[in-house]
Amino acid sequence: MLRIENAAMGYNGIDVVKNISLEVKSGENLCIIGPNGCGKTTLLKAIGGLLDYSGNIKLDNKEIKHFKRNEIAKKLAILSQISSIYFSYTVYETVMLGRYLQMKSGMFNTPSKIDVEMVEECLERVGLQDVKERQITSLSGGQLQRVFLARTFAQEPDIILLDEPTNHLDLKHQIELVEYLKEWSQKENKSAIGVFHDINLAIQLADNALILKEGNVVKYGDVSTSITGEVLESVYGMDVKGFMVNSFEIWNKLK
Amino acid sequence: MSRRIKIVITLIFSIIILALGIGIGTVYISPSKILGILSDKILSTNFSKDVDPILVSILWKIRLPRTLLAFFVGAALSVSGTVMQSVLRNPLASSFTLGVSSGAAFGAGLVILFGISIPFFGIFTLPLIGLIFGLATVFLAIGFASKVDRNLENHTIILVGMVLSLFVNAVLTTMSALSKTQMQRLVLWQMGSFAMKEWAYVLILIPIVVIGVIVLIRYTNELDIMTFGEEQAKTIGVDVKRIKWLLLSTSAILTGVAVAFAGIIGFIDLIVPHIVRKIFGSSHKFVIPLSAVFGGAFMIVVDLISRTIVSPSELPIGAVTALIGAPFFTYIYFGGRKKVS
Repeated sequence: MLRIENAAMGYNGIDVVKNISLEVKSGENLCIIGPNGCGKTTLLKAIGGLLDYSGNIKLDNKEIKHFKRNEIAKKLAILSQISSIYFSYTVYETVMLGRYLQMKSGMFNTPSKIDVEMVEECLERVGLQDVKERQITSLSGGQLQRVFLARTFAQEPDIILLDEPTNHLDLKHQIELVEYLKEWSQKENKSAIGVFHDINLAIQLADNALILKEGNVVKYGDVSTSITGEVLESVYGMDVKGFMVNSFEIWNKLK
Repeated sequence: MSRRIKIVITLIFSIIILALGIGIGTVYISPSKILGILSDKILSTNFSKDVDPILVSILWKIRLPRTLLAFFVGAALSVSGTVMQSVLRNPLASSFTLGVSSGAAFGAGLVILFGISIPFFGIFTLPLIGLIFGLATVFLAIGFASKVDRNLENHTIILVGMVLSLFVNAVLTTMSALSKTQMQRLVLWQMGSFAMKEWAYVLILIPIVVIGVIVLIRYTNELDIMTFGEEQAKTIGVDVKRIKWLLLSTSAILTGVAVAFAGIIGFIDLIVPHIVRKIFGSSHKFVIPLSAVFGGAFMIVVDLISRTIVSPSELPIGAVTALIGAPFFTYIYFGGRKKVS
């Protein structure tokens, strides 16, 4: 579904990420891991068609840069971390915006019966039906991110790109978000590509992992074989695995 | 109270305000006479044969065009302000942010200071030149912003608009300082007024405003999405750069014609969108048409006060707008918070 070959991308003519090659098949999830500034978000932007690149990034065998904006949006949606909201909408109105392209093709740009049903289904999937008439500015961070996730689902994409979507969320909402995505991916045979700082969340969601350092690929492959103590130490410059193991030992002592 | 009831109440109030705008003045005209005269003029009936012809003349030649002009100027400025705030994602943005008023004032300044008159256009020379300069300033601002910033980011547009606006203002101030004899006329024009405006003004303004508002209503979904940020709008499928140009240009035209015909009337474009969002929610399919209705009615009230409170003199519209608008805005916008606390 998504194939990247020898791609490089960056800003103002300087490549931030180099020599990226990977493949994401339908139903597979990929996590992108690495320290701050290693180029995770830059790569995600290029995949989303928001940033120019060299090499090949092909979605269903067609270069991303040759897609029109509305064509990309039919195949690919992005869920970012929560940003500031200037004007408040209801939960329902916000999720309905995910149906923009479908409404655009209809008469008077108004929602069809299918759009309404889809929005209701997405609200139900993230457990927000009871608050659908509430203003989004009155919601907690966790609820708000679920609203945006529902809007992303409403787009009916084949791939969802996640840019640190769990930032500012408490533990419960972080886990819930990952579970919603896993369920969506498994049930609908679709894919999520996510940038995560929390390795625990990343390995819960992903089948494959791409580990970056200073714009270069350190390791790419199956989560169980690519995320090793050695790799993490070389990327973060500290004994991450040792820290995790130590945490587990403390966990085991807790009642 | 449901949104539907609020809309009905707003429409009823607007019609009442329209009737008051036509009926009240130095000479009072009763609602029955208003209806009779309007029916005779529009439907060629014969209800007002006993009405004093002076009243007919006051209503048809002075009050009605003036009130309609006030309504459509208020509607144009309010809708334009709404679009600017949403597209630029800045609650403080207004239709003047991109320099429309400075450009129009500069054009008007040239006409007044140098006594320019274009053949065939006569009294319309000033609004025409004002409109051309107002729009030229906006397009210069957007054009320059897109040159220096390929993505046409909001902060670039706002900064370029403000710098250009201040520059044009400075040139105008320098020019008017050198021509003190015409300075008063220029200052009066800048304060805004609906006085001495004939039907011809209204008949030019109405189609431009109506078409502009209809174009904007066509893009209400895009406006909703763009308030969440341009990157998000792109990922949902909005052709942001093209739509942004279209929306900013349309709202610049709306502001441009309003300024050209009535002078500089600030504040309304800033407060009406906020009041409408507060009452009806942020969805643009409601905010755009209701900003037009609410802004139009509000402008009639302002005009009514400006021409009756110190009658027969008139207060500048721009000043009265802020004098009434500021407390009204405070009451609507912050009133609810007090109750909650």
